[in-house]
Amino acid sequence: MPNRKASRNAYYFFVQEKIPELRRRGLPVARVADAIPYCSADWAKPVFTPLRRPGMLVPKQNVSPPDMSTLSLKGDQALLGGIFYFLNIFSHGELPPHCEQRFLPCEIGCVKYSLQEGIMADFHSFINPGEIPRGFRFHCQAASDSSHKIPISNFERGHNQATVLQNLYRFIHPNPGNWPPIYCKSDDRTRVNWCLKHMAKASEIRQDLQLLTVEDLVVGIYQQKFLKEPSKTWIRSLLDVAMWDYSSNTRCKWHEENDILFCALAVCKKIAYCISNSLATLFGIQLTEAHVPLQDYEASNSVTPKMVVLDAGRYQKLRVGSSGFSHFNSSNEEQRSNTPIGDYPSGAKISGQNSSVRGRGITRLLESISNSSSNIHKFSNCDTSLSPYMSQKDGYKSFSSLS
Amino acid sequence: MSGRARVKARGIARSPRATEVGRIQASPLPRSVDLSNNEASSSSGFLGTSRLSTNDKYGISSGDAGSTFMERGVKNKEDFMDLSICTREKLAHVRNCKTGSSGIPVKLVTNLFNLDFPQDWQLYQYHVTYIPDLASRRLRIALLYSHSELSNKAKAFDGAILFLSQKLEEKVTELSSETQRGETIKMTITLKRELPSSSPVCIQVFNIIFRKILKKLSMYQIGRNFYNPSEPMEIPQHKLSLWPGFAISVSYFERKLLFSADVSYKVLRNETVLEFMTALCERTGLSCFTQTCEKQLIGLIVLTRYNNRTYSIDDIDWSVKPTHTFQKRDGTEITYVDYYKQQYDITVSDLNQPMLVSLLKKKRNDNSEAQLAHLIPELCFLTGLTDQATSDFQLMKAVAEKTRLSPSGRQQRLARLVDNIQRNTNARFELETWGLHFGSQISLTGRIVPSEKILMQDHICQPVSAADWSKDIRTCKILNAQSLNTWLILCSDRTEYVAESFLNCLRRVAGSMGFNVDCPKIIKVQENPAAFVRAIQQYVDPDVQLVMCILPSNQKTYYDSIKKYLSSDCPVPSQCVLARTLNKQGMMMSIATKIAMQMTCKLGGELWAVEIPLKSLMVVGIDVCKDALSKDVMVVGCVASINPRITRWFSRCILQRTMTDVADCLKVFMTGALNKWYKYNHDLPARIIVYRAGVGDGQLKTLIEYEVPQLLSSVAESSSNTSSRLSVIVVRKKCMPRFFTEMNRTVQNPPLGTVVDSEATRNEWYDFYLISQVACRGTVSPTYYNVIYDDNGLKPDHMQRLTFKLCHLYYNWPGIVSVPAPCQYAHKLTFLVAQSIHKEPSLELANHLFYL
Repeated sequence: MPNRKASRNAYYFFVQEKIPELRRRGLPVARVADAIPYCSADWAKPVFTPLRRPGMLVPKQNVSPPDMSTLSLKGDQALLGGIFYFLNIFSHGELPPHCEQRFLPCEIGCVKYSLQEGIMADFHSFINPGEIPRGFRFHCQAASDSSHKIPISNFERGHNQATVLQNLYRFIHPNPGNWPPIYCKSDDRTRVNWCLKHMAKASEIRQDLQLLTVEDLVVGIYQQKFLKEPSKTWIRSLLDVAMWDYSSNTRCKWHEENDILFCALAVCKKIAYCISNSLATLFGIQLTEAHVPLQDYEASNSVTPKMVVLDAGRYQKLRVGSSGFSHFNSSNEEQRSNTPIGDYPSGAKISGQNSSVRGRGITRLLESISNSSSNIHKFSNCDTSLSPYMSQKDGYKSFSSLS
Repeated sequence: MSGRARVKARGIARSPRATEVGRIQASPLPRSVDLSNNEASSSSGFLGTSRLSTNDKYGISSGDAGSTFMERGVKNKEDFMDLSICTREKLAHVRNCKTGSSGIPVKLVTNLFNLDFPQDWQLYQYHVTYIPDLASRRLRIALLYSHSELSNKAKAFDGAILFLSQKLEEKVTELSSETQRGETIKMTITLKRELPSSSPVCIQVFNIIFRKILKKLSMYQIGRNFYNPSEPMEIPQHKLSLWPGFAISVSYFERKLLFSADVSYKVLRNETVLEFMTALCERTGLSCFTQTCEKQLIGLIVLTRYNNRTYSIDDIDWSVKPTHTFQKRDGTEITYVDYYKQQYDITVSDLNQPMLVSLLKKKRNDNSEAQLAHLIPELCFLTGLTDQATSDFQLMKAVAEKTRLSPSGRQQRLARLVDNIQRNTNARFELETWGLHFGSQISLTGRIVPSEKILMQDHICQPVSAADWSKDIRTCKILNAQSLNTWLILCSDRTEYVAESFLNCLRRVAGSMGFNVDCPKIIKVQENPAAFVRAIQQYVDPDVQLVMCILPSNQKTYYDSIKKYLSSDCPVPSQCVLARTLNKQGMMMSIATKIAMQMTCKLGGELWAVEIPLKSLMVVGIDVCKDALSKDVMVVGCVASINPRITRWFSRCILQRTMTDVADCLKVFMTGALNKWYKYNHDLPARIIVYRAGVGDGQLKTLIEYEVPQLLSSVAESSSNTSSRLSVIVVRKKCMPRFFTEMNRTVQNPPLGTVVDSEATRNEWYDFYLISQVACRGTVSPTYYNVIYDDNGLKPDHMQRLTFKLCHLYYNWPGIVSVPAPCQYAHKLTFLVAQSIHKEPSLELANHLFYL
């Protein structure tokens, strides 16, 4: 005879736990079945918890909960759908001002991003830096060794500069029309700009890209949304975050395999993560895998690495034996990289549509609800109320002492 | 042959022809720069330029013909800039007497020597002009020196400024000479200044004189110091040789002009680059030889013994051979082989070796293109020690055995140097013509300040030795410790076993010192940095008090990524331990004790205290450090005590984008620290004493004019009525003087707590030396303190004793340390940020010693 208890799922126990509380609220709940309608909203919380987890650990932000009543949803819609490109080009160090060649481009990364969709596609390529100016080999080697560690010579992955530039143009501008604005961090702007110009010299295509700074973009978005200007410190702390450094599917394959943190693609993706994590949530957008590298956190929630618990009583709940999650990640990545890509240039990847539809059924249900505007309000509140730790207590403290 | 081959050869700047070019280039030299392949090379032949001045910190160096070159003017001499700062006269309480009196007097010998000269000694500064003007400094010097009027006088000349110890008869002297080409040159020598012996310019000239003298003793200048290649000390088993040498300087101390000398060594490898290459080729085979060779050699420093100069290898040019030609300055082409034959009488044997390329240092503020030098591997000797060598324990031991001189050994070496100077006729003649006389070694009286008692929770202990009181406090409880209830240990599969045995040990020792440690959650992770960071992200919640990571290897990425995440993104104190450390079975107890102490501090605990008689005193430590990743970022670390007992600390680390070592964010820090003090003590501190470390030569003025006002204004703004009184003390670990005590006819290191505040100090400063460390082997170096600002008006005795007390309060070491604890804390903080975090740590950790 089958064990009847086996049919009791997590939701059953969740509801069972909730019953006393519901009774206190004066609701007529006699058994689990009665309580289910009252609990489904709360059940959404655990769905959010893994999603919000990263946010909880991110530098505490001083974002006061947005006053939703003053927002015009129409303006938001344009902002949410707007597409931005984040670009970065790495160099083998910077040569002194008297040299004609100031940089030696060696790696390029670019992502296509919107607040609504998250990272829509990415582009990555190694670049053949050309010959190292005589006498600067040590300088370049030292600069490379201290950051991206890309070999300065005999690196067969490097592509011809003209080809790379052509591929980049096809990536950001596949169809005729206006060229979209490109963003990079203000610290990198000189280098990226110089490298773009230098690479354009090598190829015939002449296209002056408009290179703007991410910092200004964040100011712009924030201003449009909340009609006030955020502080520079806040923006810096928003963008300068170490927590995604080791997230899977963030670095390029070579840097991931060699376990090197500095990767041009990773810089762009991390900008996207940071903006998603701090700004997109303010718009009430539910974070998907395309916004932040969720799989690490989801995976770790269900697949816990081996763990010895000495203080057994306290941590009993967390003890779930299974294999490590890195295996899970690598297979996941492989699957993604093997997805055939349509007309995109080599090096470009498009996130599969399926990626946003994952998780439990309730997630999808909530997604469909969130599409109707009336519910945005509720969800944002839900978000903020879930993380008082982040926005209220510590966030305020650390921030005010900074300014 | 490409343009590269025509780049000039280097390293003959001392040769007559190279100096002839001098540093002054009158006419722009023809340059062909091949832009198409981006070669930063020039074919302008010989530009024996920058080396002459750049290898010399003072900007003054001597040539081979007994001439002395000087930079125009003497304005930017970093070392001498500090000398013109007089801080003592502004401090009323020490204007008459800055010496203390307490403590037991002790007789000390120093490495300083008297330098006597007549009372009315003066230096005459002349300006020399040439008509028609001559570009070549070499020629200018040769013409002037050939005149009989000057030939037997003591002189120093750089091509424009002439120093004489005797006055010329006329104020303006006109001379004329004929060059080899038959041109008549008129020289006008005009008296500009008469300088008394106390003038900073004279100090410079004295230094030049002694540099000449050391050269006459056949010592070679490498960097700032002088070495004797003829008496090398060999370490054959490691293919190393050490050149003994000295660092010397002449300057004014308390009352007199003194000559100071300290022993120094140059480590050289008995292997030419060519030999190294051949050996490498045999090991690796031809296929990947060039690659490995570049990897191993590029970045190393080589020494060319034909001129005793050092170069860094910036590149290797495989396409150029010694038989190729380059263009000399005069336009003629010559092969490298012929050049070395002609110039140094050296025969290059391997004609197929590639050439090393060195990027020459540029002249200041010169935006011209880089200059390259081609060097022949056969003639280049490797110098210094590689990372691989420094991690070789046996090798370092062998080097230390030779270089760590006991006080008596050091004393012998000094005596020999003095003997040489006095016996060598050339050297003596040089001194005598300047009217100088080399005198006796200085001995002086220092004082030993009383030793300190260490205050524990319920016990006052008088340590047997202040150097290490770990045994004395073993049974005592520490002052204050928060109990550790929720914490994590991250370890890998392999280290799980050691982690558990370590944990048992840790809990035992922590219990006995009064630090309650509950059982942690042990998390096993894979052996890669990503796994560690992910596990931390997953398991750290706001309740976690501390994360301990048992690292499988000392790979920097583990430490960096963990510290970076836990110091700024998610502020939780962290403790990293190498698995290897925990495997040392016999030492488990002492390791666990040290780690338990560190953990206590990181949680905000206090270990011990010393008696501080001043109530309401805040001590501050400031240090600076360059960021390891981006060289234009300066890390400024500030630490301030926040209780009267000086056991709890507030810290702040600020990154600033400047090229100088001067902090411009002190106001923010000071205001924060004063607020913290107010919060805990409900009042402002009556006295503030700031210890500033990391001050370079020539920065004293900037410090007084820029940093002190920042501190003062924040102190003034903090309170409307009576503001705290401030003192600022510059701390220097490196200083020239050494002190020895005489005992049983040999000399020994002076005891801990020895204070020197006379003779070896400077008259215009309120300064003293303090010995607050022990050297088991070798000679102890004193720490130098210079009080540049003082509102507190403490007696010198009290200032010295307070400083000594503060050296006992560094919680990472149960003993006395060489600098006051706030300085050491500030140093630890800046080092952590500069090496690993690269951004400002979270302020939530500011009240803990998280950087230990």
